[in-house]
Amino acid sequence: MAEMWISMGPQHPMTHGLWTLKVKVDGETIVDADPELGYLHRSVEKMGERRKYFMNTTLTDRLCYASSTTWTHSYVLAVEELMEVEVPTRAQYIRTIMLELQRLASHLMWAGAYMPDLGHITGALYFWRDRELFLNLLELPSGSRLLYNYMRIGGVKRDLPDGFEQKTERILKLFEQRLDEYADLFENSKIFRMRTEDVGKFTGTQAMNMGITGPNLRGCGVKHDLRVEDTYEIYEEIDWDICTREAGPGYSDCFSRYMVRIDEMKESVRIIRDCFKKMPQGPTMSSRVPVRASGEAFRRTEDSRGEALMYLVGDGSDRPYRWKIKSPMFTTISACPHYLKGYKLADIPAIMGSIDICIGETDK
Amino acid sequence: MNFKDLQKELKAIKGVSNLSLIRQNVIKIDLEKSVSKAFFTKLKEDFYFEHCSLITAVDNQPDFELVYHLSCLSGELTVDDTKMSAMIEVHIHLKRDSPSIDSVSDLWFGANWHEREAFDLMGIYFVGHPDLRRVLLPEGFAGHPLRKDYVYEIHEEEW
Repeated sequence: MAEMWISMGPQHPMTHGLWTLKVKVDGETIVDADPELGYLHRSVEKMGERRKYFMNTTLTDRLCYASSTTWTHSYVLAVEELMEVEVPTRAQYIRTIMLELQRLASHLMWAGAYMPDLGHITGALYFWRDRELFLNLLELPSGSRLLYNYMRIGGVKRDLPDGFEQKTERILKLFEQRLDEYADLFENSKIFRMRTEDVGKFTGTQAMNMGITGPNLRGCGVKHDLRVEDTYEIYEEIDWDICTREAGPGYSDCFSRYMVRIDEMKESVRIIRDCFKKMPQGPTMSSRVPVRASGEAFRRTEDSRGEALMYLVGDGSDRPYRWKIKSPMFTTISACPHYLKGYKLADIPAIMGSIDICIGETDK
Repeated sequence: MNFKDLQKELKAIKGVSNLSLIRQNVIKIDLEKSVSKAFFTKLKEDFYFEHCSLITAVDNQPDFELVYHLSCLSGELTVDDTKMSAMIEVHIHLKRDSPSIDSVSDLWFGANWHEREAFDLMGIYFVGHPDLRRVLLPEGFAGHPLRKDYVYEIHEEEW
């Protein structure tokens, strides 16, 4: 049969944002693919060069609309490295709690968006119902539901409100029951497993070479998590484990990538509980935060989607001279011809959905 | 392989200078442009740096600087007795009148789009890159906006 190119996007339910995937098909089988970006490019790096260091947290919030706190956090962490700012211990605990709440919200957002990709609209409603719980929690200290601007250079905006721990505990308990429901609804569902198992396979070695990190890499059985390997905040003192899954020896499929995120949500619940147990009293903001910086610094953090890296160069003024953002999805999308090849056209939503695309951070 | 042995071996390689430790698990080095390809091949083949985290181009007027962040994710490189993953930061100096360097996207596929982005926004040419096109800006865009001497001009477009 004759080969032809099909353009999926920029407006297509599969894309989860604005980007185009051109696929070359031979009948129903994918032969080649060519992803195209740039529809959401806002030149954040260039804008950042004209704003003061502390102003940029509003930009980093808007990098990813599903996981904004983690992005602001990795920027703030890099600036603190550059300015050599010490963060009070209580602020580090609060940050960790916020990061894990955000990770829960982000994974639930992903799971809710993934289900309609597979034709399971009900799944979206269930997952997004639970995401609301965590958005409510994130709203309490920060005052907003989507773009929090809560992480500040040297600490956090304000201390946790009264009764936050009790409210969180109540929601976590409810959420754990819901996770069991999901196991019945999705993991044990034959249709869900038929759509996801043995689809979109790649090995751990391939993934590392292609620049795929985060849950997608842990889904291949690679025990890699920057919260441990390049540890930041207080993850060292918390009692938790890295979650890995694999579909077979050393490779992942859509189902293992789904499962690793479900496991991670359980682990996030554990981290939050342990944080509340160990959290000390004290200030939440460093007493002295400089305005100017020189030299260069970078920090990597484990974003909800993979390795986030912020590289900053300062020239002694109050604005960054160069600010570079590494987005995990940028490289993951670039590798999509590799893991799409050989599958059917109808598998594209299942495969591209399973890697958790967020175009905001990708296009910068 | 231990991180300390790696530092010793790196020091012996020709073209490597100013080796220093930024953090416990991060080495920073300066590299000569002429030996870059051979050096990166060695990093990948012999020293287990199987993941290219980031390629950044910086416009240090008048010249450019390329910064490569490479990391080892598989745990083959051990940093003392910790669980940390090893990382290397490589700085390469590029002259402004010849901003080109050998591409590493055949070594790490993940470097492919980082190089395209550096070309797109900073105008660095990667020799041997399979598909050096703009990635974020539209085709036909004039200039490279992250350069410090870039001036934004509003062009009247014909409709």
